Amino acid sequence: MLEDELNVSIRERDQVAIIDLMGDVTTFAEEKINTAYTKVTEIGAKKILLNFRQNDYINSAGIAILIGVVTEVNRNSQRLAVSGLSQHFQRIFRMVGLSQYIDIYQDEEEALHGLASA
Amino acid sequence: MTSSPNASDDTSPERVIELRLPSRLGYEKIAMDAAGALARRMGFQADRVDALRTALAEAVTNAIEHGNQHDDAMKVLVMLTVRQDELVVSVADQGRKVLDQDKLTLTPSIEESFIKADRGGWGIWLIRELVDEVEFTTGPGGSNHVRMVIHLDKVTDGRGAGNVGR
Repeated sequence: MLEDELNVSIRERDQVAIIDLMGDVTTFAEEKINTAYTKVTEIGAKKILLNFRQNDYINSAGIAILIGVVTEVNRNSQRLAVSGLSQHFQRIFRMVGLSQYIDIYQDEEEALHGLASA
Repeated sequence: MTSSPNASDDTSPERVIELRLPSRLGYEKIAMDAAGALARRMGFQADRVDALRTALAEAVTNAIEHGNQHDDAMKVLVMLTVRQDELVVSVADQGRKVLDQDKLTLTPSIEESFIKADRGGWGIWLIRELVDEVEFTTGPGGSNHVRMVIHLDKVTDGRGAGNVGR
């Protein structure tokens, strides 16, 4: 009931691999997020968008998972962006330093526009 | 900063809400929802409510994972104390394992996290950054206590508050 509340799905738009994250990004999310990242990387994605849903719950374990994704993105010379984060989690991303490595957009459309010119 | 988690304020009546949670991950969401609802009703701005929710989630998660070692039989006690101008949130575990004191003052860096196998260590740092006052103590039986305070209508006071109030 309270443990694993995350749905992860993959789609593509404008040559951007979009990973939709619906739910909580906590310790239970690790396998799902890493699997999705591996899949889009295997099909050659160079631009990846993590599309969050406003007001979901991200905790420090979730941040650690995302740092792991950034590590791989840097290693694989990909570009990573996020959209749909609440103001609170945008601030947390800035505090942690994730915003130095991830482009933060308000929503999916803005992200696709930004990534198209990147 | 008062020294006891139960210290009372002589000038205003306190209202105390207690939650007793199983030591299973996911139950921190019950605590954060309860504290968030209470803080909103007290008049805290949305960004402060979010900051409190995250800080409390981290404290309860630590209590479940580290203090109580995921032992279902052990409880995490969350106390929400409403005062006229502040909300005091205490989290206590039953102390299967005492928190590593070194971790309480750690300032993690993302660059170090890129090269470490363990990318954790952000939880306690987040708590320190997000609330106005925080105190970590160990009870006589080895239980870990975290006492966090957020001030109402006070924009800059103490560590981290400058980030919170804006």
